[in-house]
Amino acid sequence: MATSTESVDLVDGTTVRNLARAALFAALVAGFSYVSFPNPLAPSIPVTLQVLGVYLAGIMLGPLWGTASIGLYLAAGAVGIPVFAGGSAGLGVLLGSPTLGYLWSYPVGAGVVGLVVHRGTDLQDYTTVGVPLLVGAMVAGTVVIYAMGTVGFAVIQNVGLVEAFSLSAVAFVPFEAVKIAAVVGILRRDAIAAVE
Amino acid sequence: MLRYQPGDSLAHRLDPRTKLCFQLAFAAVAFAYTSPRGLLAVGTLGLLALAAADTNPLRVVWSYRFVMPFLLAAPAVAMLTLGPPWLVPAAAVDPALASVRNLLVIAVGGGYIRTTSVTDSRAAIQRTVPGRPGQFLGLGIELVARFLPVLRRDLLAMRDAEAARLGTDRPLGERMSTLAAVGLNRAFRRADRLSAAMQARCLSWNPTLPPLGFGWVDYPIVGLSLLLFGAAAAQVVGLAPSF
Amino acid sequence: MIRTHEVVCQYDETIAVDGVSLNIENGEYVAIVGPNGSGKTTLVRTFNGLVTPDNGRILVDGTPVEDDLVAARQAVGMVFQEPRDAFVAATIGADVAFGPHNLGLSHAEVDRRVEAALEAVALAGRDNERIDRLSGGERERVAIAGALAMEPAHLVLDEPLTGLDEPARRSVLSRLASLHAAGTSVIVVTHDLRGVIDAADRVIGMVDGRIAVDTDAATAREELAALDVYVPPETARPGQTASTPDS
Repeated sequence: MATSTESVDLVDGTTVRNLARAALFAALVAGFSYVSFPNPLAPSIPVTLQVLGVYLAGIMLGPLWGTASIGLYLAAGAVGIPVFAGGSAGLGVLLGSPTLGYLWSYPVGAGVVGLVVHRGTDLQDYTTVGVPLLVGAMVAGTVVIYAMGTVGFAVIQNVGLVEAFSLSAVAFVPFEAVKIAAVVGILRRDAIAAVE
Repeated sequence: MLRYQPGDSLAHRLDPRTKLCFQLAFAAVAFAYTSPRGLLAVGTLGLLALAAADTNPLRVVWSYRFVMPFLLAAPAVAMLTLGPPWLVPAAAVDPALASVRNLLVIAVGGGYIRTTSVTDSRAAIQRTVPGRPGQFLGLGIELVARFLPVLRRDLLAMRDAEAARLGTDRPLGERMSTLAAVGLNRAFRRADRLSAAMQARCLSWNPTLPPLGFGWVDYPIVGLSLLLFGAAAAQVVGLAPSF
Repeated sequence: MIRTHEVVCQYDETIAVDGVSLNIENGEYVAIVGPNGSGKTTLVRTFNGLVTPDNGRILVDGTPVEDDLVAARQAVGMVFQEPRDAFVAATIGADVAFGPHNLGLSHAEVDRRVEAALEAVALAGRDNERIDRLSGGERERVAIAGALAMEPAHLVLDEPLTGLDEPARRSVLSRLASLHAAGTSVIVVTHDLRGVIDAADRVIGMVDGRIAVDTDAATAREELAALDVYVPPETARPGQTASTPDS
């Protein structure tokens, strides 16, 4: 029996598709935190793919859905889904972790990367975007992430910016170049099915 | 790791919105009173909260061990100065207090995780955030919980297969991009199947919301949270006695 | 009743469905067969508006699909190939409740529908079990229950038997048979007719986006020989179809 069809506010097809992709992307970024690579320079500090996921969200989902997706990642972590470093979770991490600036910077970073690559909020075909613009977008995203991360660390730990940067960023910054190169490598493969 | 476990502790019986409110109030008061005596009081409250959640504080600290290096290193590095006397122990006091406070704020979140199911969290979000953003967050959280184990399995299996087939001596960037590309493809393919299935089942912006019970146990905790917010605000505007 | 008239669906340069006109009556049991890429999945996805045709019309119970998508999606329940990715929730009960929740039904009505749907697929009382711990056949039945909770008049299943072992195939087929007996039209899209050909009233064979065969099950065997479809030997009866293609 059909029930009250006019009261059902159906989500339109394109939005359902974007919503599903944003949710799966958030889950993928969380999954990335479980896959670490040994750091060739400092074996005790493994390198994970999370920031790579942030760049890719901006590029592949665009500034709006990319930001929404990474925001969803934070919300999922806040209510206890094990998406943060080391399978941790909790609102406390977003309120009191020394790394909170980095976490809060991820949706912003995805938005910045998306805005630059798509030159606005209307989606462009990112496969036609040149390497310089892609790299520039990700460098801008990286600057946002490390700036917010460092300031967050300094404020929440009550230390100076230099100390915050040397404690939370120095060991990781060199690998951002590797990640940016990896993203360019991914987008150059023709295997990616996400092309619209 | 800390996970939801059904139970009948006080925190289990609370409405998830009450628990979220308490966590915010707890963080506010911890930030407002980051002094030795203040943190003693805040810490006692935090231990009480974890006890009400039937949660072992040591297990909580262990599950958040990833923050420990940062919490320990910050005061240590703050002591260093360039030039004599090289080491200023007094400079470590404030960062050390901050570390204690941060650990408390993080740990109280562990009580929420232990006592709140994803379904209840989803209900709390959709009943707090109105309209489409609420439905996006609520459904999205349920989908992240549903697909994270699946995608994690995909990624770990691929990494192991890669390592077995090609070895681990290829450049880091190449290994990252191979893994991420395959992971993305699978995730997008799954998303497209999920999208068709959700459409077929009439995904709507105005679904029936999951039930939530705001009961008599919630009122005292909401009252306590308001008091904590008040105490934090009093400190900020300079009305509180020095603590 | 589902009625299509001259339906054409195109993806870029490829024509997936090429002018299909078809009537499926209430209560029919129809098998739609054809090789990969013959357009059968695309065709059934027009029945509930998941695919909008480039040409032609689809009426569900007399109403054009695009005029009332909510009604079409309630009337035509759909079970997808690889249901593993089609579940929205981790547990059986929560997933089956997804459709009724979207319709804005009361909690009591949602509970009633979930219970009835699980009953219909022989999973009653197992609401709290995790879907990822189920066998393939049980998963398929959960997916069917998810569609049934919309209380559809027509149930479309895309390759419901792929990858299932013989006991699981048999249990899914027997669930479909009882739904059919209760008056639901059952439309099975498949490339493998084992079990299905004995249950179906009617077999539609598709090739290159067109209907090549549309006949009752009795005469289907010879007509289907021309298509790239596995047709089991005539001696097979339901419950006795354990033989594999090469045995």
